[in-house]
Amino acid sequence: MKFTCSTKDIAAAVSAASKIVNAHSTVPILSNVLLTATDDSIRVRATDLEVTLEHIFTGEIVEPGSVTIPARLFSGYLANLPAGILELTGTPTRASVKCQRSNYDFHALPPDEYPPLPSTQKGTSFSLDAKRFREGINATIFAASSEEARGAVLMGTLIEIAGNQMTMVATDGYRLSKWQTTLAKGLDDATPVKYIVPSRALAEAARNLGGAETVEIAALGPAGNQLAFAAQNTSIVVRLVDGQYPNYSQVIPAQFDRSVSVSTPSLIAGLRRAELVAGDRVSMVKVNVANQQLIITANSDTTGNAYEELEVEQTGEDLTIAFNARYLVEILTHVDAPQIKIEFLGPLSPAAIRPSDEAEGVRQMYVLMPLRQ
Amino acid sequence: MIAHFDLDAFYASVAQLDDPSLRGRPLAISGSSRRAVVLTASYEARPFGIRSAMPLYRARELCPQLVVVAPNSARYREVSRACFAIFEAGAHAVEGLSLDEAFVDVPTDSLDAAVDYARGVRERVRAEVGMPVSAGVSTQKMVAKIACDEAKPNGLKAIPAGSEAEYLAPMPVGRLWGVGPKTQLRLAAERIETIGQLAALGDDAILRLFGRWGRELRELARGNDTRKVEPDRETSSVSSETTFEYDVRDVAEMHRTLSELSVDVAERLAKYGLRGTTIGIKIKRDDFTIVGRQTSVAEPTRDARIIEAAAGRCLERSTLGSHAVRLLGVRVASITEDTSEQMSMFVAQENATPFEGV
Repeated sequence: MKFTCSTKDIAAAVSAASKIVNAHSTVPILSNVLLTATDDSIRVRATDLEVTLEHIFTGEIVEPGSVTIPARLFSGYLANLPAGILELTGTPTRASVKCQRSNYDFHALPPDEYPPLPSTQKGTSFSLDAKRFREGINATIFAASSEEARGAVLMGTLIEIAGNQMTMVATDGYRLSKWQTTLAKGLDDATPVKYIVPSRALAEAARNLGGAETVEIAALGPAGNQLAFAAQNTSIVVRLVDGQYPNYSQVIPAQFDRSVSVSTPSLIAGLRRAELVAGDRVSMVKVNVANQQLIITANSDTTGNAYEELEVEQTGEDLTIAFNARYLVEILTHVDAPQIKIEFLGPLSPAAIRPSDEAEGVRQMYVLMPLRQ
Repeated sequence: MIAHFDLDAFYASVAQLDDPSLRGRPLAISGSSRRAVVLTASYEARPFGIRSAMPLYRARELCPQLVVVAPNSARYREVSRACFAIFEAGAHAVEGLSLDEAFVDVPTDSLDAAVDYARGVRERVRAEVGMPVSAGVSTQKMVAKIACDEAKPNGLKAIPAGSEAEYLAPMPVGRLWGVGPKTQLRLAAERIETIGQLAALGDDAILRLFGRWGRELRELARGNDTRKVEPDRETSSVSSETTFEYDVRDVAEMHRTLSELSVDVAERLAKYGLRGTTIGIKIKRDDFTIVGRQTSVAEPTRDARIIEAAAGRCLERSTLGSHAVRLLGVRVASITEDTSEQMSMFVAQENATPFEGV
């Protein structure tokens, strides 16, 4: 194969793909990116067998074909090239790159050994605004578990589609994020669908697809066990988590009996200061709500005592409840609103956090379990 | 002084305790699958040649009137707890080795007083729980355990202070802790067959044969076992392990065992008001090599389901190769005291399965 292209295009494509590559893979070819030249475009693909990313850009194809090149090495090389035109010639064992007076040969591995693309047989599909999708991902996936020990299901994020409504949910059992929006194009079918998507694949989607206008999402394969996210020149295909997502709606109380409305930045700042004092492995802060005030206290034998007073709009009875400050701050930094509302049922019941005024077209809520003292 | 207690033919004795019609009859505890093996044989079954790990069909051939009872691990834990509660009365510390075995630190230097304590425990276990238990008494752990083995079934043996080396000397080296079949073979090639012969080895020979831990082993052989009874109430970690009565290759069975051990560890954490963030497993393979894996969770836990899931992950990540497994253990470490607990959504729901579907 042989093609010429802009150094900027190929650097961007290889850089995006190389982030998928697992540095610790024991299968040598998975450390490589696959470049395939056809007609007038070049496709760069990387996979760790769970997530596959493919990026397409244009170039001048002299001879169609494929080559695989070590991802990190090639990406590092391309990042240091000046803007200009690059010529790449590939054989099963070698990739030769010429750019101005820079001339490199990289050892390659035979492209026919590269894992084939997952099935392209499309099933259910829907689409939504790319920027909104990115916001949704950022608003939810942080609450998913990062512990392998808790299992792949909790490490995933649930995507539910019913009609033209999309709901994303992530939880590690201690906190839960839920985000809803309206799709640009909903399901043709009335039957709702659910997917558990590895959260890191969504992080890649947010990074790579957010710049486009629309993201098209489609189930792939005869069993529908893969999901493809496609926008403009990039597509990401991910193997879905096989399993049943916890019945999260059961843990969200239908009604709360008291609430506070409070300035988000003030609460974040107060919690961050108090957390410094709480400082322990579990950053326990106590939140006391009474007389239209919210008082944060924390204490530790080694550091001292913290006391923070905030004006709030209180409804319902007074309450004292304890939280891990780290979890609460993390939620607050993901709520996209200057003022938030926290709803309670009691000191040992889940609390719900939402924006006081909902943003246009999006519904966002979080649930946090308290600390039992 | 140290006492070692071992409940005789534990599973079988529990079955005979619960069903008097089984008493005095040859009995095997075993699963019901076609490939089931005998987990425990009652003393009545042993004269027929029935042993642990023997395929059930073979046991039935040897003894057509054999009664077979399915295992009941919840009941075993219950009986074990009742017996351990009796061990604890008057003890300095109790170190459980498994459900049916424990070391007890008896706060006395007098052999007679320790024997009185052990006799009292045996009587109480028999009277209050209804289980036969054997006991060994000595100044040290290994000797107490060996004495207990010799006292079985339903007996008591005490080794006076100062006579430990003499007691051990004629025994085969394989009785020493840490000397497995492979080491035994190597020693046999050197014509070392008894513990006494090993005890008499010089520094050079011991270093050549065993490397660095040789001196330690020789001290054991000379009746100098200085290890203390480690109370289960240690705060650094809580663990539970079990030695299979036969080597296990069935991964499903390993997971079942990890599940039981996780429940045991969780119950003990709850009893002491502790939680931990590091969950690990210990595997002794059939070549006696020990492999361990551990993982950590974000919130200190004593939830048996979380411990079990983490232990299961550790097992999946462990390299068993072609080996069968002799022993499995579950351990929770990075222990914190019970000051506050991060509540979990899924555990908070009474009677709810934590991972039931949407």
